[in-house]
Amino acid sequence: MKVSLNWLNEYINLKDIPLNDIIDKLTYAGLEVEDVVDQAKNFENMFVGFVKERKKHPNADKLSLCIVSDGDKEYNVVCGAANVEAGQKIAFAKIGTLIPSSGLKLEKVKIRGVVSEGMICSEKEIGLGEDHEGILVLDASLKEGVPLEQALKMNDAILEIAVTPNRADALSHIGIARDLSALFDKPLTMPEITLNESNRKSHEFADVEIIDSENCPRYIGKVVLNVEIKESPEWLKNRLKSIGLRPINNVVDVTNFVMHEIGQPLHAFDLDNLAGNKIVVRSAYDNEKFVTLDTKERTLNRSNMMICDAEKSVAIAGVMGGENSEVTSSTKNILIESAFFNPSSVRKTAKQLSVSSDASFRFERGTDPNITKWAAQRAAQLIQQTAGGVIAQGEIDAYQKPRTNKSCTLRFSRIEKILGYQIRKDDVEKILIRLGFIINNINDELSEVVIPTFRNDIEREIDIIEEIARIYSYNKIPEVAKISVTLEEKVDQSSFVDRLRIVLTSLGFFEILTNSLLNEETAKSFGQPIAMLNPQSSEMSHLRPSLLPGMLLTISKNLKVNEKDLQLFEIGKVFNQINKKIESFADFSEEEHLLLAITGNAQRSEWYEKDRQFDLYDLKGFVKAALVKIFPELQLKFFPFKQEKIFFEYGFDLFIEGEKIGSAGKLPEKIAERFDVTQDILIFIADIGKLKKISPLKKTFKELLKYPKVYRDCAFILDETVEVEAVIEIIKGSSSNLLHNIKLFDIFQSESLGKQKKSLAFQLEYYDSSKTLTEEEVEKDFWNSIKAVEKKLNAQLRGT
Amino acid sequence: MLKKIESARKNFEDDISKVTNPTTLEELRIKYLSRKGIVAQLVEALKEMPKEEKPKVGQALNQFKNFTSEKFDELRTKFESHSKSKREFIDLTLPDRQYTIGSKHIITQTLDEIKEIFKGLGFSVYEGPELESDYNNFEALNFPDDHPARDMQDTFFVTKNFLMRTHTSPVQIRLMTEKKPPLRAIMPGKVFRNEAISAKSYCLFHQVEGLYVDTDVTFAELKGTLVAFAKQFYGQDVQYRFRASFFPFTEPSAEMDVWWQPKGKDGRWLEVLGCGMVDPNVLLNVGIDPEKFVGYAFGMGVERTAMLKYAINDIRILFDNDKRFLTQF
Repeated sequence: MKVSLNWLNEYINLKDIPLNDIIDKLTYAGLEVEDVVDQAKNFENMFVGFVKERKKHPNADKLSLCIVSDGDKEYNVVCGAANVEAGQKIAFAKIGTLIPSSGLKLEKVKIRGVVSEGMICSEKEIGLGEDHEGILVLDASLKEGVPLEQALKMNDAILEIAVTPNRADALSHIGIARDLSALFDKPLTMPEITLNESNRKSHEFADVEIIDSENCPRYIGKVVLNVEIKESPEWLKNRLKSIGLRPINNVVDVTNFVMHEIGQPLHAFDLDNLAGNKIVVRSAYDNEKFVTLDTKERTLNRSNMMICDAEKSVAIAGVMGGENSEVTSSTKNILIESAFFNPSSVRKTAKQLSVSSDASFRFERGTDPNITKWAAQRAAQLIQQTAGGVIAQGEIDAYQKPRTNKSCTLRFSRIEKILGYQIRKDDVEKILIRLGFIINNINDELSEVVIPTFRNDIEREIDIIEEIARIYSYNKIPEVAKISVTLEEKVDQSSFVDRLRIVLTSLGFFEILTNSLLNEETAKSFGQPIAMLNPQSSEMSHLRPSLLPGMLLTISKNLKVNEKDLQLFEIGKVFNQINKKIESFADFSEEEHLLLAITGNAQRSEWYEKDRQFDLYDLKGFVKAALVKIFPELQLKFFPFKQEKIFFEYGFDLFIEGEKIGSAGKLPEKIAERFDVTQDILIFIADIGKLKKISPLKKTFKELLKYPKVYRDCAFILDETVEVEAVIEIIKGSSSNLLHNIKLFDIFQSESLGKQKKSLAFQLEYYDSSKTLTEEEVEKDFWNSIKAVEKKLNAQLRGT
Repeated sequence: MLKKIESARKNFEDDISKVTNPTTLEELRIKYLSRKGIVAQLVEALKEMPKEEKPKVGQALNQFKNFTSEKFDELRTKFESHSKSKREFIDLTLPDRQYTIGSKHIITQTLDEIKEIFKGLGFSVYEGPELESDYNNFEALNFPDDHPARDMQDTFFVTKNFLMRTHTSPVQIRLMTEKKPPLRAIMPGKVFRNEAISAKSYCLFHQVEGLYVDTDVTFAELKGTLVAFAKQFYGQDVQYRFRASFFPFTEPSAEMDVWWQPKGKDGRWLEVLGCGMVDPNVLLNVGIDPEKFVGYAFGMGVERTAMLKYAINDIRILFDNDKRFLTQF
């Protein structure tokens, strides 16, 4: 909302207060000043100058040499304009002035050999207009030495204030002035209204009937007859222009002026266009069509409130007037509407029609029904001032249940209890009184505070405490110097994923964060996505049912910038619809997932190593390393898929302690291709919810081995279809508990081994934690294993 | 006998001074220190000596023996190191082998930093669902139905009663419903706003909210806690200010600004967090007596904070996950 400082000065004297203080105090009090246009700033260091003398420049024909006086000193100034004359009052910029048009600082320079001690400005140079042909000649009656902004009456500052939705009362100049009055402890002066009314009463010219009194508790009509519609006087136009409004005609301008003065939206009807000279407030008909002032046809329904005459609708209540009853140049008689509409009704209608007018903005935040009469009278007074005419006596006032002032008790001790700081009682009282509250002291500790009806945001003691604190200034409430820590149990629900992240990054993974919203097509091919009721765009209409699409988009984007070797992970929520209708939390799932993806090269060729692509065994290794670190001692098992899965060409399920927690494998090419990816992608998806439920074993120290380990190597020639795991299982099954580790250290295939044969070489590790093993013990175990493998897998021991 | 030892020593010194390579050194070692070498012969001779002379001669012989073996070792080490540096050339300018440690997303890193500070101040960490009920996200937090306050947070609705949480405050509601005060916790997490994606706004971002409810919580303590945070996070000399503001769930409500001074540019006040005393209506909604208990709450955006800290001016790059971006942090 734009507020003019000069306009504010009509209600509170701020002339001796620096602009920055006003800005700061308003901002601290919750009326954040977001922007300031300080007109005076453009005229800093500029004054009204008097050209005492004009001579020709000794060295240049087109230049003249002037002596300019600022009433105090005289300056030699070189001027290039043809229209400069002795005796003129001009805009004089002294040395050091920042010239607005060029942004350059004026310096003392020699022009063609003569020193110039300032500049006589043109309109353009000071940002007043486009004229730069000659200098700006000022009114001769101005006194030299007067600051230029004063002389030009360009001393206003326009503040852009962000008014929070609770502060309906601050949506006007008087509203802002009231806060300033409390902030600077200065009186607020309301404009005086003296009406010169005729003997004939408003009732005689018009009638008001409220059918929907729930949504329209008060409606005031005030009649002004025989007005002359014309352009507004300068002062009124300037006021409106200063806050960015376009003047229209005197009557409409007055209604806008009063709204920005007191916050009450007004509407002026051409009384002669109101059939039956009557106003009826009722609901719209279903599918009613209505053309608003902005010439748009709107379709309404029964939940919208309308202002009508005896025959037709003339306005959408609180939102916008109609074309059919607007004030035109031929309007003679006027009905001023000053009403109070139910905020939520106006809000619904404005939302439904996607209209936000200055009026609806105020009504939906809540206006004061008790200011409507004042506003109507103020408008009548100003209309008479600017458009002549006769004001009919009194108002037509339909107000069935007048709003009375609420009050609440304030305990002074409670202020300190909440703020942790004691504000002096007389400061408290001063603040509240300046804000329009009435205080009835009950005793030293207790007061009854009467709340003004324009403060619909205040009901309770805590609201009053906020008023006191914000005007007193939060910055004057000292912060505590120490904080006590309570001894109750501390919880960190994010600690598990935090650990997971640390382990994964230490394995070389980079974390990504992708959008949780996807387009419908993508989302649907990865699960049962939940749709947004009001998406921002079709590209973000559904919640992700899986982390995969986000990962694939990321990989795809990286490939396009030639980043081909990727080792990424994301941890995030995925959402799937369970039942058709979402009516409770049971109708959908929200799970936290982990997705690892590796693609491209594990190793780019270097001087010490050759190119190597990431493969399934890398993925297996990463998953195992990470999970073993987090769940030491727990049984981790990979079970190869028996059949192909949608998101895996091949791979395996991962079980920890018998619970399936995720799957790993190669993404099918078809899916990768949909994201323009042609290189292999290996992924691991896990449900973090399940991982969190696994309770890790409590770590205990194991005695270090005191006896030597013994190693035996063996290699078998086997059918190539025999799985390594099968060999390992047989070795394990045929060994005693002296065998502790089996390492596959070589795989080899060659014609010399026979067709469809391979050689697998293992290293077996034996030890006994209670003694040194004898040669015989190891040999026995070792040969048992070899025989078992030979027998069960039709294997041949190599080298024999 | 002593003379013999003395002459052997002289001979040895003479011999060893002529040694130039490991081969001649080895020959010399055999000559003097082998089983039948000069030293061994002297030891044999010592056995024949009269008892009374043995100690004196023995000592001299020992000295000689030690002297010879020290000299041998010395030379051997010298030759060995010589031969090594000759055998192998080490190119110290070869590039290093490549090892990579990954990194958490910059948003996670910033979140961690914030979390660490508040954990140090005695806060627990709680999480909650992103798809929330309208009740937990708005109603319980004192947002009246059909009130313009709802416009402050553009909302993605799933149904009339379910939505993507617009702040992590619903976790406060869940926490206060489940547990009784004293409660001191922060709630980090993802939140959603139905806004067009631009350099300045994204449809989702991360937030950290904090809550403290106890019998003696005050606005002065809220300020103290946040100032302690700001000093740790932004630096001990951070300049800050508190402004009145409006949030339906706090009363009084405030915003905290810090002075931001980019290098070579104009400084300005920047809003970094919203805060206030928990509105009594919110406490009533979760069954906590607002006469007995007082609470404070605060919340801040992580993206905004990270962008400030690392001078990132387009929020979208955070969610692009370009490797060239990820590897910078």
